[in-house]
Amino acid sequence: MKVDDTDMKPFIVHRGKIAVLDWADVNTDLIIPARYLKRIERIGYGPLLFADKKYVPGGSPAIDAPESHGALNAEFPLNRAEFQGATVLLVGKNFGCGSSREHAVWAIAQAGYRVVIAPGKNEGFADIFEGNALNNGLLVIEVPEADWKRLADAGQVGGVEATVDLKTQTIVVHDGRVPEPKVAFEIPDVQRKRLLQGLDTISETLQYESDIARYEQAAPSWLNAASA
Amino acid sequence: MPETLFQKVWNRHVLSTTDEATLLYIDRHLVHEVTSPQAFDGLRLAGRKVRRKDLTFATIDHNVPTDDQLDIRDALSRRQIETLRANCLEFGVTLYDIQSGHQGIVHVIGPELGLTLPGTTIVCGDSHTSTHGAFGALAFGIGTSEVEHVMATQTLWQGRRPRSLGVEVTGTLPDGLEPKDVILAVIRAIGTGGGTGSVIEYYGPAIRALSMEGRMTVCNMSIEAGARAGLIAADDVTFEYLARKDRPFAPKGKAFDDAVADWKALATDPDAVHDAHVTIDASKLVPQVTWGTNPAMTVDADGRVPTLGELPPALRDEAARAFEYMGLTPGTPIAEIPIDVVFIGSCTNGRIEDLRAAAHVFKGRHVAPGVRALVVPGSEQVRSQAHAEGLDQVFIDAGAEWRQAGCSMCLAMNPDRLQPGQRAASTSNRNFEGRQGPGGRTHLLSPSMAAAAAVTGRFTDVRKLLAR
Repeated sequence: MKVDDTDMKPFIVHRGKIAVLDWADVNTDLIIPARYLKRIERIGYGPLLFADKKYVPGGSPAIDAPESHGALNAEFPLNRAEFQGATVLLVGKNFGCGSSREHAVWAIAQAGYRVVIAPGKNEGFADIFEGNALNNGLLVIEVPEADWKRLADAGQVGGVEATVDLKTQTIVVHDGRVPEPKVAFEIPDVQRKRLLQGLDTISETLQYESDIARYEQAAPSWLNAASA
Repeated sequence: MPETLFQKVWNRHVLSTTDEATLLYIDRHLVHEVTSPQAFDGLRLAGRKVRRKDLTFATIDHNVPTDDQLDIRDALSRRQIETLRANCLEFGVTLYDIQSGHQGIVHVIGPELGLTLPGTTIVCGDSHTSTHGAFGALAFGIGTSEVEHVMATQTLWQGRRPRSLGVEVTGTLPDGLEPKDVILAVIRAIGTGGGTGSVIEYYGPAIRALSMEGRMTVCNMSIEAGARAGLIAADDVTFEYLARKDRPFAPKGKAFDDAVADWKALATDPDAVHDAHVTIDASKLVPQVTWGTNPAMTVDADGRVPTLGELPPALRDEAARAFEYMGLTPGTPIAEIPIDVVFIGSCTNGRIEDLRAAAHVFKGRHVAPGVRALVVPGSEQVRSQAHAEGLDQVFIDAGAEWRQAGCSMCLAMNPDRLQPGQRAASTSNRNFEGRQGPGGRTHLLSPSMAAAAAVTGRFTDVRKLLAR
């Protein structure tokens, strides 16, 4: 039985503050620079999120001391006072492009975010990032651009909360308006079930052992990597 | 029903499928020191083993110093490398360690060892795994949780089957142009997210005319267009590459003949249709250079940095941030931009043909004053081959640094990196902010264009040098 901080938490419904980073094509090098990938741990990445943007030049944390850092860069949108403590992150198109590093998802999740919302069906998130997020119980949602804009406009005010409900697949913004702005989203059923239950994928897959073994027995000999 | 190459390879590996999720068998798992320690930890915590250690191969590439591979001064790099060694020993995984004769960038050594074969599924905790698609393999990068999953089960869950994007490259690539120019032109055409949710198949006469090294360069950067993978159907060029004596894991004798018969069936059926389609005319291309902070921000070598007004409104915000980061005035001619550092190497352009192309330009010329040029072979084998051909001496005579094998200045995880504000002409794959070091400015181009930049101190259309 695996019990540690990296266990996938089920995601059912979450209410939290919105932060907005309205930049397109944010790559995983920007989310977490490669030098921090020298760490062999799975935790401690929260303070390293956007390390080369979050702090003034030269102020990013030392690799082996993530909690020590220089002054914050006042121009970086996520450093706005009203966004502190946010758990729902709105980002631009093609978020998480580039490197496959799962450290990007670890950094976002460990910085406290539970949900990331991007605009455009099949355009919001890079493929590998999306898979990594799912494997860590970080809910990534693509909504139509007009809906994203409504959410972002509400979030830009600062300090506004939203409720993201994976059961009903809706986002409700609590910004004082009546009725409260509401946006629907869709997550494929298989992924939704996994997120709702926080399943351990490996145990699940091991139930396919007979299919795996059958495939291996039928494989042509040249597939078995034997050195000559 | 007619099928594309990608669909054929995918279908062969399906263990279980519904509309929304498919379990794929994985034929080869490549491992490196950066994205594997947490996966091995996960196995250990759960008391699991590596299911097919005979299909799992590791090497050390990202952290390796390339001036002296054995002198790893950075304590965290050393710890990461030693962790991989200990994990490989504990779990029984073959490791091609530093100075084993086969160490190198994981995407350079897989093909060299004959591990990369047509029709196979290949994964690695590294987005440039798309490189192996050059052999007609379905190869893609995965995260560390998936690395652990493949280690434990030799399988991987995928969502809906990706769409198929056909990229046809017609015509003949002009002299002085390289496969890098082709792929930069493709990314420029479809955008940095243009391939998201898709697998690209490259075809057409200009692709057929490429060597395996060239095809690897093209497939390598599929991920820079957002595509999970890029494939090229295997042909005689592929079979000749795999038939060479120095491919220890490729099938031999009758097994090879059987395999080739099978591989020949793995081409897109004549009436199969890709979900989307793009055509590029290679004969009209000129050398490409990136100006900005993603690989689609590319212009012709004789062009200019764009102005905001020339760009579609949706791209202007990002371009404005790129001008600032890159320290460039919109409208500046590319040929007027001076450079500080030249990097020739990486999983994109660290193979023997890339070094030959660079050496062809360096021969009889010298690196410009004030410019630092690094030439870094992608593997120990590439390095030996370059020695055998005397390329090392060409680089040294030209005043370039001839290095040992590793990822080097592609990603700033080892001592090779840019200083803040330095501008590099680089044959690597990503011009992202800080990719080659915090504050470093990266322009991507081909190996011969990089060599031309080294000897002239600025971006120079290599055809002008070669014509003389």
